[in-house]
Amino acid sequence: MTEIRISGGAVHDPANDVDGEIRDLCLKDGKVVSDVGPGARRIDARGMVVMPGGVDIHAHIAGPKANLARKLSPDTRRADPLERSDLVRSGTGGLVPSTFATGYRYSLLGYTTVIEAAAPPLAARHVLAELRDTPMIDKAFLILMGNNQVLFELIRESAGAVSPQLRDAVAWWLAATGGYGVKLVNPGGVEVFKQSNGDVDGIDAQVPGYGVTPRQVLEAIGGAVHELGLPHPVHVHANDLGVPGNAATTLQTMEALSGRQAHLAHLQFHAYGGRPGGLPRSRAPQLLDYLADHKELTADVGQVMFGDAMTMTADGHVSAVLRDLDGGKWVNHDTEVETGCGIVPFTYKAGNYVHALQWGIGLELFLLGSDPWQVMLSTDHPNGGSFLSYPKLIRLLMDRAFRDDQLGRANQQAIKRTALLDGLDREYTLNEIAIITRAAPARRLGLEHKGQLGIGADADVTIYHDRPDREEMFSTPRYVIKAGELVVEEGDLRRVDDGLLLSSSAPFDGDIDRVLEPLFADRYTVSFEHYPVDDPALREPATIVRATP
Amino acid sequence: MPESLICAGCSLVCDDVTARRDGDKLCLEPECALGAAWLAERSHTLGDTPAATIAGDAVDLETAIDRAAQLLREARRPLVHGFAAATIEDARAAVTLADRVGAIVATRPPAQPWPGAPAFALRGSSTATLGEIRDRSELLIVWHEDPETTHPRLLNRLGFGQDGSPTHVDGLRTLIVIDDRDTATARRADVALDWPSDRDVEALAELFDRFDGVRHATIVYGPALAAGAGGQRRELALHELVRRLSHEHHVVTLSLPRAAGTRGADDVLAWQTGYAGVVDLARGHPQLLTATGPLVEHERIDLALCVEDDRHALPDGITTISLSSVPAPAGSLSSVLTRDGADVWINTAAAGVAAAGTLHRLDGVPLTLHPPLQSTAPTAAYVLTRLLQATDI
Repeated sequence: MTEIRISGGAVHDPANDVDGEIRDLCLKDGKVVSDVGPGARRIDARGMVVMPGGVDIHAHIAGPKANLARKLSPDTRRADPLERSDLVRSGTGGLVPSTFATGYRYSLLGYTTVIEAAAPPLAARHVLAELRDTPMIDKAFLILMGNNQVLFELIRESAGAVSPQLRDAVAWWLAATGGYGVKLVNPGGVEVFKQSNGDVDGIDAQVPGYGVTPRQVLEAIGGAVHELGLPHPVHVHANDLGVPGNAATTLQTMEALSGRQAHLAHLQFHAYGGRPGGLPRSRAPQLLDYLADHKELTADVGQVMFGDAMTMTADGHVSAVLRDLDGGKWVNHDTEVETGCGIVPFTYKAGNYVHALQWGIGLELFLLGSDPWQVMLSTDHPNGGSFLSYPKLIRLLMDRAFRDDQLGRANQQAIKRTALLDGLDREYTLNEIAIITRAAPARRLGLEHKGQLGIGADADVTIYHDRPDREEMFSTPRYVIKAGELVVEEGDLRRVDDGLLLSSSAPFDGDIDRVLEPLFADRYTVSFEHYPVDDPALREPATIVRATP
Repeated sequence: MPESLICAGCSLVCDDVTARRDGDKLCLEPECALGAAWLAERSHTLGDTPAATIAGDAVDLETAIDRAAQLLREARRPLVHGFAAATIEDARAAVTLADRVGAIVATRPPAQPWPGAPAFALRGSSTATLGEIRDRSELLIVWHEDPETTHPRLLNRLGFGQDGSPTHVDGLRTLIVIDDRDTATARRADVALDWPSDRDVEALAELFDRFDGVRHATIVYGPALAAGAGGQRRELALHELVRRLSHEHHVVTLSLPRAAGTRGADDVLAWQTGYAGVVDLARGHPQLLTATGPLVEHERIDLALCVEDDRHALPDGITTISLSSVPAPAGSLSSVLTRDGADVWINTAAAGVAAAGTLHRLDGVPLTLHPPLQSTAPTAAYVLTRLLQATDI
């Protein structure tokens, strides 16, 4: 293994309370160490900024949904080819790049860990195969459980309580799929869409045919994840995404989850006042107030960036609404027992009231929040925009003059309804950027060795030129080091690394098979025997993060 | 002793199957003529089957790989195609090799006209897995396909017919078959409509008026819809119709690829290159090919590497490399050795019978094969990986 001394850089390692200190960083055998030998490779980082590798807590990069989006959008990819070389595979970019291109481009951006945030458990083999073809980054996926008919049965039997059976079932599903965590998408609502093209009405309405409510799903599965002690708490895409007035639902959701650890996905899409059918208003301040009083809850923003996006979600109802708004391409795919899927290409326009308000609400969530450890950076790639837009988003947060210029280009009726014109002069510091792009996501994911540069941490390091144009700075790291090896230098890939698969595990009672098997036989068209992923080529190697109840 | 099996006899990839030996015969339970034929062909062992042949002469594996690699290096316009019985692992290795040598990859028949750019990329579609259809669809409309022949267990697995799987649909379910042929599927229909295949799919809207109150419906279609002149337009019209009907009903479509490996190969091609269907890697990056003429003529293919497929006869003058298991007893040893005139043929272990791997069912659900037999023959994925090393490009 290579030994590296990164010398003289300004180190931003907020997890270890290091804020721009000029110091050396030593790497050996893939880990941060206290010292290296005299023969170590020396990287002169004077005048540069040193951070842990980026960690994306919420993106959509692999699996059947991403692949349908690729097939749907050859037009967006023709102009963005990736040439093969002796080092790299060819591919295509666009809003949903091919797998190899995804890995390379995340790495070129200084990211070293990415979470695929919504995978149907039934499709775990497909997700795993794509992730195995996504190099450079460590990766994991969250399995969708918020509309699982088998779990609905168990929740109904326990009257919404966290039963041992439910806990065992959640742990079983993670073991069966190789997933890392649990995702709830529009709990109960996806099932209602598949039943009737509709949506569940608030979090206390019953899901027809199952006698459970979204609140019970949130509390029972969120509680099971909490009690199991999985490294990442339940990850929630709340009900009523995109609907004016949905902030009330989001607050109810946060109340239902409060007292136990939980992460709210793409909070921007859930932060709207107003009435359904009317124009939305911002409710970012109210949601931030609630978060400030409930440190057990975190969120990622799901920032909208003006330009082209690819909306792709398990929330099929949302896609059907966008289909009718947009009139363009639309994909719907219903997955038995578990979930749905909708895909609609979409363009966010600065001049459009709703789009500008969404953009403004995202910025409010970043700028009005008091604790960057609670509100993390995401664009819900590619729903709000590509991950390639992260540098521009960082510039919006760090550079008030640039932000003011961009504000002036957006729909002013919308911007007036945010706090952005109220003399909001906050500019993120480099340390705060390090928190929202690495330290906080890693901590929230339970990845102790990532997002920080203490002794024993993974040697995933990104080194930037300290340029005044923060977009330029974060677009092209000077160096990226992955697992202790230099993989990117001045915008060029130097070495290709497979990256690791991250899975989690929690113990469960094997007797859960006897509960699940008849429910599987009744519901699935895949037999219980053949459901679990047991192919070593897909499951191994993997880094297993164990639950700590 | 009955043995649990995942059947790769068609794109349904049934995983509820057991195989048992009855004298010399292998039988499948539940019965399926297509599955039984697939198993019989792939589990049959021909005596003295060589590891490989070059121009019909038996050679060892390494010699065949060296020769195939040489041919690949010399090819001006190579094509990688087939995939009827290919696993995900085979397809991943095939696209990797194609990327390295700058080949075209086709998951569609290369010697036939085809409809050009997939209609899916123009408008999208609404689809579902089998269980969703079984447990929700009150109406199943089959458009000019005969799944009783091509996918013999489809209707049963979707809960139609007296011996069909239990369904969670309350009340009546109706099977409508639209075909101007007398097919086995039409004979099972509740309603059989003798419409010609060139009739506008828009006419399907009438059925939704006739079956007032239907909430969930599925339209099953297959290669016939997109075949021939105007195929892309017909497929597009179907998805447009489904989109319109989806305001009042929950309507999904189910496409019926014939072979077990087709869906998965197309998925792999999409995730590795960004495009599905036919992708040209000759210029160092993926390009989607949308020409409608036969690929081998249009692109002046001079070498075709066929992966786990035995369906495609190619014009004379094209060098052919074939990786496939022995299709016996339909074939004979002598026919295998000449193998449609393949310049190089390499014997591979049959996926699902003697080799493991992953298949994507016609609805995209992935399944891992559990082969009941063992083989000394390599998998296609292994051979393709060795070819990649040996081409040294």
